[in-house]
Formats: sequence, C-alpha cells, structure tokens
Amino acid sequence: MSLKLNNVTKSFQDVKVIDGVDIEVGDNEFLVLLGPSGCGKSTILRMIAGLETVSGGSIHLGGRRVDELPPSERDMAFVFQSYALYPHMTVRRNIAFPLIMRQFRWWYHLPVVGGYFKRRIENSSDVREKVERTADMLALTKMLDRYPRTLSGGQRQRVALGRAMVRQPSAFLMDEPLSNLDAKLRTAMRAEITQLHRDVGGNFVYVTHDQIEAMTMGTRIALLRDGKLQQFGTPREIYERPANTYVARFIGTPPMNLIEAVVEGWAIRIGAALLPVPESAELPAGNGTRVWLGVRPGTLKLKAGAAPADSASLTGRVALIEHIGAESLVSVALDGVQTAHDDEGRHGDKVMAALPGYTDLGLGDVVTVTCDLSDFSLFAHDSGRRVGGSRAAKH
Amino acid sequence: MARFHPFHAAAVLAVLGVAVFPLYWMFVTSLTPSDQLFADRPQLLPSLAQLPTYIEAWSGTSLRHWLFNSIIVAVGTTALSIVLAILPAYALSRMDFRGKLLFGFALFLTQMLPEAMLVVPLYDIFTKLSLLNTLLGLILANAAFTVPVVTWILKGAIDAVPYEIEEAARIDGCSRIGIVLAVVVPLIAPTLAAAAVIAFFHGWNEYVFAQTFISDDQWRTASVGLASFIGELSTPVHTVMAVGFIYTVPAVVFYLFVQRYVVAGMTSGGVKG
Repeated sequence: MSLKLNNVTKSFQDVKVIDGVDIEVGDNEFLVLLGPSGCGKSTILRMIAGLETVSGGSIHLGGRRVDELPPSERDMAFVFQSYALYPHMTVRRNIAFPLIMRQFRWWYHLPVVGGYFKRRIENSSDVREKVERTADMLALTKMLDRYPRTLSGGQRQRVALGRAMVRQPSAFLMDEPLSNLDAKLRTAMRAEITQLHRDVGGNFVYVTHDQIEAMTMGTRIALLRDGKLQQFGTPREIYERPANTYVARFIGTPPMNLIEAVVEGWAIRIGAALLPVPESAELPAGNGTRVWLGVRPGTLKLKAGAAPADSASLTGRVALIEHIGAESLVSVALDGVQTAHDDEGRHGDKVMAALPGYTDLGLGDVVTVTCDLSDFSLFAHDSGRRVGGSRAAKH
Repeated sequence: MARFHPFHAAAVLAVLGVAVFPLYWMFVTSLTPSDQLFADRPQLLPSLAQLPTYIEAWSGTSLRHWLFNSIIVAVGTTALSIVLAILPAYALSRMDFRGKLLFGFALFLTQMLPEAMLVVPLYDIFTKLSLLNTLLGLILANAAFTVPVVTWILKGAIDAVPYEIEEAARIDGCSRIGIVLAVVVPLIAPTLAAAAVIAFFHGWNEYVFAQTFISDDQWRTASVGLASFIGELSTPVHTVMAVGFIYTVPAVVFYLFVQRYVVAGMTSGGVKG
C-alpha cells in the first residue's frame, strides 16, 4: 500500500519541529527517515503511527486518509527503540496481545473471568498458529513461555518484531530499533529486518541516525534536518547526487570533501590548478561562478612530491594518517585552497583521501593530489544547493 | 544471595527483637497468672496452664463479632480506596488538565485535617444519610482519609512505568481505560500491594470514627471493642492482652498474604536491556 505524507507540519506550542514534509512511497517500499538527533524523524514516525497529532497537512495509507484515526485503526505496527514489551506477560502473550485486543470485550477487564477469556483466545487454534508461525520465523519458539526479563537484548527485539508481524499490518513503523544492540548483533538484525521486509512485504518506515543502516536497508531515504526534508530519493541517488552540501557531508564515511572552486569555461579552477570536466557533466551557467566542488575521498589520488605548476593537480602536506585495514584515510592540508568542513561555516584547508591498503606516505610528506572528475558534485557557494556535477545514471 | 555472616545475623536478631518483643510480651502477659502480673521478677515464659484465658476471650466476649466487623471495614476501606485512587493517580501522572497542581495539592490538604475535627460534621451528614451504625459509613469515612494517600502513592508508581509500553498498547488496540487496567495496573502491582497494606491498617486500627458513629454493639469494630474492656474501676489485664493478641493476628495474616507481591523489579525486561 502506498504511503503519502502531504505537506505535514508539527508544532509544539510555537516551535515548529516539522516543516512541510512531503514524502510519497509506493507499495512494498522500505522508507528510511534519516537524520541527526533532533531533526524530527521520530516525530514524523510517531505522527504516521498516530502517537502524535498532526498540526497541518495529511497522511494517507493506501489511499485512505489516516491522520485523524486513532492509532489502532491505522493498521500499522510500531517497533520501539526500547522494545516496549509488556513485562508482566510471557513472550507468547506479548506476541498474541494485538490479536487478543481484536476480540476484546470490556468485561475481559474483570479479574479471573477476563483472565480465563484472554487465555481462551490465546489458546484458540487460529491465534496459536499465528503466534507459533511468527515465533518460528524469528527463532523464538523455545522462548514462548518465558518472560521478557529473562531474554537478551536481541531476543527482546525479536519479540517486539514478532508482536508487530503477527498482526500482518499494512505498514511497519520502526523507531531506531537496533540502537540498543551491540555492533555485531546490530549487523545481524539489520540483515534480518531486510529479510523480513522481503518475506512479509508491506511498507516499512524505519527511523535511524545511522547512515549505514539507511543505505543498506532502505529502498528510499528521506534525509531530514531541523524538521525540513533535505532530500528524498533512492540510496544511490542520495549518495551520487546529493541535493546540497548537508546531504553530501551526511552520507558517506568519511564524508565528501568540499573544496572551494570557480567554474571557468568547461573546467573548474581550484587555486592554481585547472581541472578539465568531462563532457557528460553539467555545470552551472556563468563563467567565474564560485562553487563548492564535492568529491568523495575515494576519488582522490595521492602521489609523493609537489605538483608541477599549471597542472590539473594540487599540492598539499599529509596531516593525518589512519589505517583501517582495507584502506588508509589520509588527511591532506592543501596549499592555498579552502575547504568546507561543516554547515556552521567552519572552514579549513584539509581534504580526506581514502587510499587502498596501507600507504607508504608519512606525516608531513609533500604530496600531489589528483581529483578524478568522473564523479563529482557542484554546490552553490552561498546556498549550498546542488548546481551541477557528473551526470549520474538515472534510475 | 548474600553469604551468611554472624554480624548480619546478630543485627537481624536485634531488629527482630525490637519489633517482635512487644507482641511476645503481650502474649506472655496474657498467659501469666494474675498474682504474678506485678511480680518483681517479670515472667519471660508463658505459663500454658493459663491457655483457657483465650477460650474465654474468644467465646465469652463479642470478639468474634468485632473481628468480623473490623475485617469488613478494613477490606472495604482497602478495596474502595484502591478502586477510587487508580484513575485519579493515572490522571495526575499522565494527563494534562487545568487545575492539576491544585487538585494534587487539595489531596494533600485533606491529610492535614485531624479526624477529630471531622467527627461532628460527618456525624451530621451520616445522620441524614442514615449511615450511622453501619459499616458502610465507617468504610466511607475511612476511605476519605486513605484515598488521597493511596492516590499519591500510586501516582509515583505510574510515573515510573515506561511511557512506551502504554504507547505500544495503544497501537495494539487498547483503549485508555484498557491501558490502565491491562497494562498499568499489573505493572504497579507491588505498589498496589503496599498501598493496600496502608489502607487496610488504617481501616483496621481506626478508632475515632468507629467509636463515634457506632453505638449498636452489633456493628462495633474490634478496636473499639478492645478499648471497652478498659473499665473505670478494673481492667482484666489477661483478657485485654489475649484479645489484643488475637486482634493482631488477622492484620499479620493480611500482611503476609500481600507482602509477596511487594517485590521490586516488576517492570524489568519491558524496555531496553
């Protein structure tokens, strides 16, 4: 079922935390809401779920407007960061709870009598079968009669997933479900959730601040900052054609280098170097336009020794070397060139290059930096918006 | 588990001595022959030959009747206080409404009024409502004092229930009242038990209202009945002590019954790891 957010806004008192967000995904999409903490991604998810009211705009699921419905009528399941299991219920009851609630009558609240009827629903063949099938998928069968407090973090997370799956909702909403797990388990659960999406289908909306999770799991990513949508697209689009310098620096580790440059004809000038641009690229109109040139660390090449004058390469000094096994990250301070490091306007002169294997370069070595302009982006110098770059294949 | 340690054992015994000795002394006194009651050397062991005192206290007085009335009053006070306190406690903890602070403060205010001050107005009201000489009247009067306390105790416990668990229940299809009954109440069970103990003992021990509102011997509670032995001219120490000892038994039984619920860590495992 398609999920559509139409100009959604949210204000708490006078503070606007979500500012006119438009997102639309088709059936069976895995939408990731990505952004730093405080960007409003969880608020959006909670509005989709109905845990927060919408201040403006509308939310549609499968063509049906849902933003005014109570959470239980939206046909969505929610997985909380903290799991939010019912501690006083067994795993079986936790998973069966949404199904029990479907058949709930008010007098089930009565002690003893209610307990008897709840147990009867839980033991009915239909519910039993659903719970056991879910438990089987999540390898929880042996733990069905245990209480959450006796389970490990990963197992609790799977129970939370099971409670969501058992209802077969049209949409699964997950609020940083992996952030309480250790790194190894997180990688494993990441794959499990992707697998789950393939197996059970339906729309997934997944909130995370982890770009690796976003890139690996999402079929669409909505990148947010301060309640505003920065870019919405496939992981590849966001990686290859970032919409602005913020997206460019947020996605990718280490982040994209932003080097101050000037467009000159069909070439880009950085300090003394003039870099020719491939014909397929798009450049902003106007000779002498100041831009930020965005290049990924992997596209930079380093060579010992200074660059010859009037060449297409830059000269710099090695400022830092980090070996991380498969590659070496080398930070180079460039001569007479300015680079942007973050949006608060902090600037510097360093670029980061990712070199394969162990590099022989040493600290303080003079190096020649060559940019491969088959993959680059250009951003307006003032607004930071994308104004050109190597033309990435359309998907 | 902590290992056995002689010092710990000694400390436990000392505390136990302070707590249990008065009870024991009551028991011993009830079973001490009258001529030895005021002896120079106090008797530390009960003389079992005096056991008929208990039979006499049990069958020779209205004790059975009083105890039964006291149980009704105490259990009624407990049940009513908890039923009435859960929803306001939940509202105080989770909802925002105008006058919330004032409401919370007003609950405290009721605790500042002494019972003795309320006896006269309540007597007047109870007369009009025909609640004098009824156990229901006593239950209502007692609940007026326990509901605010229980409300505040439960509010504190509800504050500690992770909010996500309630949100999960909302998404799973629970109504607001359903959340309170199916999720919140089981999670605050230990505190409910503690609050029940407080309300029960208030109802069990209450004297001023029971003495004033009940004149019919049929509806007298044990606290008043016990006091009725203390005469102007003579006080049958044995009987008073025997009745007093029996009087403590139901309260202790209730506490033992409830205290197994007063265990910490009920919410553990629900959120995070």
